[in-house]
Amino acid sequence: MTKKSSTIGAVVFLGVLSALQGGQAAETKDKETVQKTTEKKVAPKAAADATAAAAQAFEKVSKELYPKAKQEGNLIIYSVWDVEHLRAITDAFMKKYPGIKATYWQGTNPNIVTRVLTEFQGGQSSFDVVLSDNAPPVIRAAGAIAPYETVQKDVLHIHDPTLATVSLQIQALTYNTKKIKPPDLPKSWEEVANPKYKGMVALDDPMRAGPLSSMLAGLKEQWKDDTRFNNFVKGLKALNVPVHKSTSAMFRLVIAGEYAICMPALLHDVMEEKEKGTPIDYIKTVPPVVFPRQAGIYVKAPDPNAAKLFAEWLISVEGQKVIDSVGRESSRRDFESKTSIQHAFPKGTKPIPVNDKLFLEDPKKWLDTYVKPIWEG
Amino acid sequence: MLNNSMVYAAGAAALGTGLGALLAWIVARTNTPGRALVELMPLYPILMPPIMKNIAWILLLAPKSGILNNMLQQYFGIELQVFNAFSLAGMIWVFGLACVPLGYLFLLPIFLSFDPSLEESAYIAGSKPLNTMFRITFPLAIPALLSAFVLNFLRALRSFETPVLQGTPAGIKVFVNRVYDSVALEFNTGLATAYSMVLVVLSVITLLFYVRATRFSERYATITGKGYRVKVVDIGKWKYVTFLAVLGYFLVGIAIPFVVLIVVSMIPYFDYDTFMKFPSNIVFSNYYTVIHHPSFVTGLYNSLVLSTLIAIVTVFAGIVMAFTIYRTRTYGAKVFEFIGTLPLAFPPLVLSVGLVIIFLGTPLYNSLWALGLGLFVAYFPYAFRNASGSIVNIHKELDEAAWVHGAKWRHVFFKITLPILKPSVGGALFYIFVEAIRNVDVAVLLVSPGHEYGPVTLFEYFRVGQWAEAAAGGVIYLVILIVAVTVAKVAFNIKFSL
Repeated sequence: MTKKSSTIGAVVFLGVLSALQGGQAAETKDKETVQKTTEKKVAPKAAADATAAAAQAFEKVSKELYPKAKQEGNLIIYSVWDVEHLRAITDAFMKKYPGIKATYWQGTNPNIVTRVLTEFQGGQSSFDVVLSDNAPPVIRAAGAIAPYETVQKDVLHIHDPTLATVSLQIQALTYNTKKIKPPDLPKSWEEVANPKYKGMVALDDPMRAGPLSSMLAGLKEQWKDDTRFNNFVKGLKALNVPVHKSTSAMFRLVIAGEYAICMPALLHDVMEEKEKGTPIDYIKTVPPVVFPRQAGIYVKAPDPNAAKLFAEWLISVEGQKVIDSVGRESSRRDFESKTSIQHAFPKGTKPIPVNDKLFLEDPKKWLDTYVKPIWEG
Repeated sequence: MLNNSMVYAAGAAALGTGLGALLAWIVARTNTPGRALVELMPLYPILMPPIMKNIAWILLLAPKSGILNNMLQQYFGIELQVFNAFSLAGMIWVFGLACVPLGYLFLLPIFLSFDPSLEESAYIAGSKPLNTMFRITFPLAIPALLSAFVLNFLRALRSFETPVLQGTPAGIKVFVNRVYDSVALEFNTGLATAYSMVLVVLSVITLLFYVRATRFSERYATITGKGYRVKVVDIGKWKYVTFLAVLGYFLVGIAIPFVVLIVVSMIPYFDYDTFMKFPSNIVFSNYYTVIHHPSFVTGLYNSLVLSTLIAIVTVFAGIVMAFTIYRTRTYGAKVFEFIGTLPLAFPPLVLSVGLVIIFLGTPLYNSLWALGLGLFVAYFPYAFRNASGSIVNIHKELDEAAWVHGAKWRHVFFKITLPILKPSVGGALFYIFVEAIRNVDVAVLLVSPGHEYGPVTLFEYFRVGQWAEAAAGGVIYLVILIVAVTVAKVAFNIKFSL
């Protein structure tokens, strides 16, 4: 058992290493494949047109895909989402498209990446679609994603031509209303690094693939100013506050009053807690950081048409309603709900997207290059 | 980093094993008042998942928002933040308490099956009861004590929850952080496996130490052919001290964290003011949410069945292996002393990947068999260490008497060893059942799509950080387990100890 385990370990190690190297090669090859967020101000009429065009395109593609998907008969999803959410989503999908049996397996992002890459290297046609946040780009870098571009791309906040963005992770600058009063609040993400907030901030560990590191990736790309970025990281470091590896535990401690400011929290958590009367709120004038949650189609998918149909349906208005009903944020610019950016933030707020390809596909390398020298230096 | 790891793991294992042994001795051998009532007490914390203990203690000991520091301030005007969950001492305290049940379970059968003649000789020679305890009783329990220490030490070395939740905010890095980062940041289980090899080496060193300490196993045989009857020792005035020790453990090990979690499961959210307003602000919505979880019933049923089977099979296999190593002359059997314990050295995800690679491409992959085998590999070390610690305590003369009369090994095993091991079998069954029913980490990669495995859904609330729902789920799960254990105790007459 021991010997075997170590051999296995070495095999996995080499496998994942070569997958990552492959990913780096792919990165240079199609460096420009990720499209930037479409943040242009859309006139109401143009927006309505885009909505109608997306609806038509969905109608057409689903008519083409459904008969083939029905013939395949199955859809197997690997996802990080809560079982409750997956159950609601698959039930609605099966109701809409009878004849397709949707099943799921749920695990954390590292679990998903590990399982998918192990199965991929073992030549297994074991599942169809991976539905997650951090995992799909990492799996794509290893060559295990079949590129698929959604026909509804024009209505999305963040679009990637190889992975369908079905939802967003929205980060909001959050605070405990009992611990800090509105006039004392920071006016921007950058201002959290002000020394006056020393001892008040709960900081997510910037050296892990978590919300703070993705925020840093988003801000770096938006600022395009290395000095400003370096000063920001230095400022956060100088706060000398506890860092947390568990965003959820950190959020609970902010509610408990251990800290006044949560750097950062997820919008849907904040909304849910606010409804319960928890002393928590977010600063509406600080633009949210948005991270894509994507559906990626497995390169060896046994049911590729069902997988495509599922990705398209998730982006459709009907799919987004189901996603919204379980408390997850919509990925569409034209979808109104309590957690949609246009509803939760003032008109004209420009979200900060995270679409740095290196960060998405190899967060360790990105952090080692841009954050580690400052944070640990 | 390694230094931190050693201090943390050794500290927690020593605290837990020591306290567990002390409680086992009090329950089994002293005339402490009300000891029969506390027979099952040290087992209750096992029912509480480790992460629940971390959460309960963070709520109690957090510097600014913690219940204890706030109480000190409110009632005694002490502004100083006396307690700090985010410190090395806080980590040792919380994980140490989680190590108590294992120490208790391993030591109790030993103290209960003691050959009184060994102690009587000491009394005849003029030794006082307490002196006898320290000079005779405890040294004879060394194999079981070391067995429990080794397990607790390895558990502490590879446990993620305490270092992540309590260590990181304090800037305390332990070795397992490396493994964690290679999995969670680099998505590289190969690297995690490489790091785990350090844990494997540490495990081998710890086991070598254990094997060396117990190499003359006859010395530790407390169950001999002369017949034995547990003798309760009158420890005089000290019985009040031991009573206080039991009471103290009851408060910190069970009552306080349990009460915190029960209250947290029934208040809208946790902060000190809201906590203190209970029960005027009582809500049951968290229970409603948990019970209406879509896979609550199916998942729970699957895991109850699977955990029961796994507990029975592993415990039996553990005894067979320990018997083979210590009682037969099978060539190379000693090597299994190491191999049988090694799965413990691997962090769960690494172990899980190894199993996936073994099963991939075979008909077993994505079947319930793979999941069952995975859980077997993960829990075998507990069953094996428990059985070997106990077998060492049975004198070979009992076997030899049977061999002389022409018995085959199976007669010796089924008619002699197994009946004598009954108390520790009960404990191990219980322990593995409870551990397996809440296993998420090892099982996760082996669960096939479309199948639900209880703990994954019940403990999802911890993962997504809904502490109130998690506490409610924990309370429901606790009730179910207490019912299951009581049914098992009544229906199958499983006797845990006295």
